[in-house]
Amino acid sequence: MSAAIELTGITKRFPGVVANDDVNLTVEQGEIHAICGENGAGKSTLMKILYGMQGADEGTMKINGEVVDFTSPTDAIDCGIGMVHQHFMLADQLTVLENVILGAEPTLTGGRLDFKKAETHLREVADEYGLTVDVHQMIETLEVGERQRVEIIKVLYRGAEILILDEPTAVLVPQEVEALFENMRELKASGTTILFIDHKLDEVLKISDSITVLRHGKTVASLKNEGVTAHELAELMVGSELPTPATTSSTVTDEVALRLSGVTVLNEANRPVASNINLAIRKGEIVGIAGVEGNGQGDLVDAIIGTTQISSGTIELLGNDITYESVRKRREAGVAYVPEDRQHEGLLLSSPLWENAALGHQTQAPFGSNWWLNRDGARRQTEAIRQQFDVRTPNIDVAAHALSGGNQQKLIIGRELTSNPDVLIAAHPTRGIDVGAQAAVWDDIRAARRNGLATLLISADLDELIGLSDTIVVILRGEFVATLSPDEVTPRDLGAYMTGAALQNGGVA
Amino acid sequence: MTSRLSSMPAWARWMIYAASGVLLLTIVQSISDTDRLTQISTSREMLRWAVPIFLAGLGGLFSERAGVVNIGLEGMLILGMWFGAWGSIEYGAWWGLLIGIVGGMIGGLLHAVATVTFQVDHIISGVAINILAPAITRYLSEEVWDSPTTSPQTAEVGTWDVPFLAGGTIFGWESPDWLLTASKWEIWYLSDVAQLSRGLLRSTSWVSIIALLLVPFTVWLVWRTRFGLRLRICGEKPAAGEAQGINIIRYKYIAVIISGGLAGLGGAFISTELSGLFQGGNSAGRGFIGLAALIFGNWRPGGVLLGALLFGYVFGLDLKDLDGTASHAMLLVNAIALAGVAAWAFSRRRVADTVLASALGVGALCWWLVADTVPSWWSNTLPYVIVLLVLVFFSQRLRMPAANGQPYRKGG
Ligand SMILES: Nc1ncnc2c1ncn2[C@@H]1O[C@H](COP(=O)(O)OP(=O)(O)OP(=O)(O)O)[C@@H](O)[C@H]1O
Ligand SMILES: [Mg+2]
Repeated sequence: MSAAIELTGITKRFPGVVANDDVNLTVEQGEIHAICGENGAGKSTLMKILYGMQGADEGTMKINGEVVDFTSPTDAIDCGIGMVHQHFMLADQLTVLENVILGAEPTLTGGRLDFKKAETHLREVADEYGLTVDVHQMIETLEVGERQRVEIIKVLYRGAEILILDEPTAVLVPQEVEALFENMRELKASGTTILFIDHKLDEVLKISDSITVLRHGKTVASLKNEGVTAHELAELMVGSELPTPATTSSTVTDEVALRLSGVTVLNEANRPVASNINLAIRKGEIVGIAGVEGNGQGDLVDAIIGTTQISSGTIELLGNDITYESVRKRREAGVAYVPEDRQHEGLLLSSPLWENAALGHQTQAPFGSNWWLNRDGARRQTEAIRQQFDVRTPNIDVAAHALSGGNQQKLIIGRELTSNPDVLIAAHPTRGIDVGAQAAVWDDIRAARRNGLATLLISADLDELIGLSDTIVVILRGEFVATLSPDEVTPRDLGAYMTGAALQNGGVA
Repeated sequence: MTSRLSSMPAWARWMIYAASGVLLLTIVQSISDTDRLTQISTSREMLRWAVPIFLAGLGGLFSERAGVVNIGLEGMLILGMWFGAWGSIEYGAWWGLLIGIVGGMIGGLLHAVATVTFQVDHIISGVAINILAPAITRYLSEEVWDSPTTSPQTAEVGTWDVPFLAGGTIFGWESPDWLLTASKWEIWYLSDVAQLSRGLLRSTSWVSIIALLLVPFTVWLVWRTRFGLRLRICGEKPAAGEAQGINIIRYKYIAVIISGGLAGLGGAFISTELSGLFQGGNSAGRGFIGLAALIFGNWRPGGVLLGALLFGYVFGLDLKDLDGTASHAMLLVNAIALAGVAAWAFSRRRVADTVLASALGVGALCWWLVADTVPSWWSNTLPYVIVLLVLVFFSQRLRMPAANGQPYRKGG
């Protein structure tokens, strides 16, 4: 039987970069094939070419042994290929059902949508693979994990035989990753071929049958997952050792930088999504929040940043009450913010990098003053961020959407850390960043912590949470239910706390 | 309360809106010195103004739901006015409407080529069309009718009287005119309702009837069909549509051309049904006001109609209001509406909005108390003021299509 996918000599150039340089990739029928490589190595580009979203400059593609030439995703879809993109491709204002059926809508006479048939089919697909979603919800009300499921259902709904998943686990908490892997195994059992991209090497080793490693747009290795170790894989990817996020000695001081007293946040239906939160983060301290997505951590972050009004309680920054201050005032007073969704809240995708680097700091030196932007200062600062944080880009005038996902993330981290903040609110700071760059970001956060930065860390990566935090609080249904010491807790225990299991059983033994 | 309203069928909700609107007018009228607020001619004028505004606004809905801002509606309306008049004179009334639609579609096509294919900024392209359209129609008038500003008399498609309610004829038999009878009873509120209703149902242009039918049709087309879903994805997240194999560019083109066609129908209505001839300047900015109705209506067909009727009422009232007393009474309506907004904001604990709405409401009330009449510029400005207020107080509830106005490139 011929290989499911066979790519030979694929080359793709963008102005100033060669994203794919003579890449070869062979994926056998019915296997789970992982693609690894540092940020900007060309993984997403290769997948977009395979899905017909971008045309290759050179090279040939064979699907199931036949040479194909895709000019649009329609061609790829016709060949049974489905893709879940690195950044969600969902319309917020449409329902789950509408998003899923898009492009493959069942219709009655006159072009009328057959919602009933669509829903039945959707439920069949969802049940078959144990993916649960509420089909009539608007996408905007869903948590990231649910959105991920919608994306996968979307592809399965069309009966794809070749599945491309671009960093599907980046936004998931460990339990959800487990569930996803379970789904992937089932799909594989039913004959589906899966190609997936992941930066977490332990996950790659756990699920994949074979692995292809890209570096600077070239294929550097293609191997079977037999006896490979994470160290060897990291070596292949970035040429360095696997880092661990272990904190060095404590730098916690007595001075409180951020204090939340009795903070309650209500949602639109006037229900508390965060209730009576008390929290003090001292200078030099990192407080980690552990919780399954959607338990109020997002609302808490919004409240601190000022994008949501709190209904009771106070927020103090360095002893000053900022409860009623505007977002801008808070930012100017020294609050830095790494949002959980970089494309939604972090960047202006069609603006150049230097404007993006000024975002949120546009009223402060070196980016500008109250009224004026300082182009030269902004550009110089952007260059500095680019070098210090290794943002891979041909220059700082390209639009943000031309950066690879991980490099977009690095730009945001750089922007926030170089603003010399007193408080850093970091939601999933290393989401989508490769192992090498991840170590660098951890080092940067630790260095800032030594200099007195107070950090609120939210992360789905429990190793990161345990490794970086001085204290971990567990949030469940909008309430802090436990305070743990990272020295004494394992990711397993933490997982039990997050789901509430540990609390019911009277604590972890 | 709101949840109970929104769980009702649409027609029932509309009945409640209408009934309470008329009640407000009746109350105001009984404490002020005008009787024009609820006259038959007032609602007739309202509808005549509202129809082209609504058609332009609905055109805007198609375009913006597909992600293309269409400020060129005014220009497309003007093209519709000219082509409608020309077609009507040359080939007869119904052909006039059709040719007017085509004229607007040409404007739409131009806008689509500029914005979708060449990625010109949507506002710039729209403004260009608004400048071009009067110039082109002037030139064409000169060529065809030897007069730069006016055309000969046009044919009109005619009107319809609703039987029983407004005395229409059925197979030559003249039915009773119940609403007229009821309006002569002079019962408080009831007669007012009858008068306003009769204005809508007596000698109603066929175009108005078509326009009203477009509301349910658009809801069906845009929210219930495959075409509509694909059109909406263009305005919400085109990249997602593209990834699902949808030809975004094609749908954007179709939407913008439909948009031009609807504005063109509005234009043809102005020249053939309202003025009976083409006259430069007769559009009176109704394309722009249509855009205002689109925003007021939250990018939904029913909302656009509501906005068009509201603005049409303000303009229609002003037209027959030579002494300015009716517009003066409208100040009191404004004050009451603002009080309602203030109460709403207060119930949501929105301090700044409550204060602002109360201040504006008190301002309107004071103006009403000290003056006997208001200048006519006030009525012309009012629709825009209303939209500004809607934006100030309700912007959080307005939902513009997420990717509206953004350039779209294939392969993102
Ligand atoms: N539309 C585009 N225009 C210009 N350059 C682009 C574009 N898309 C990608 N690139 C460049 O191509 C290179 C490869 O990007 P790609 O997104 O494939 O990386 P990746 O391997 O997926 O990285 P990550 O792990 O960060 O997601 C990067 O240098 C990026 O800047
Ligand atoms: Mg990528």
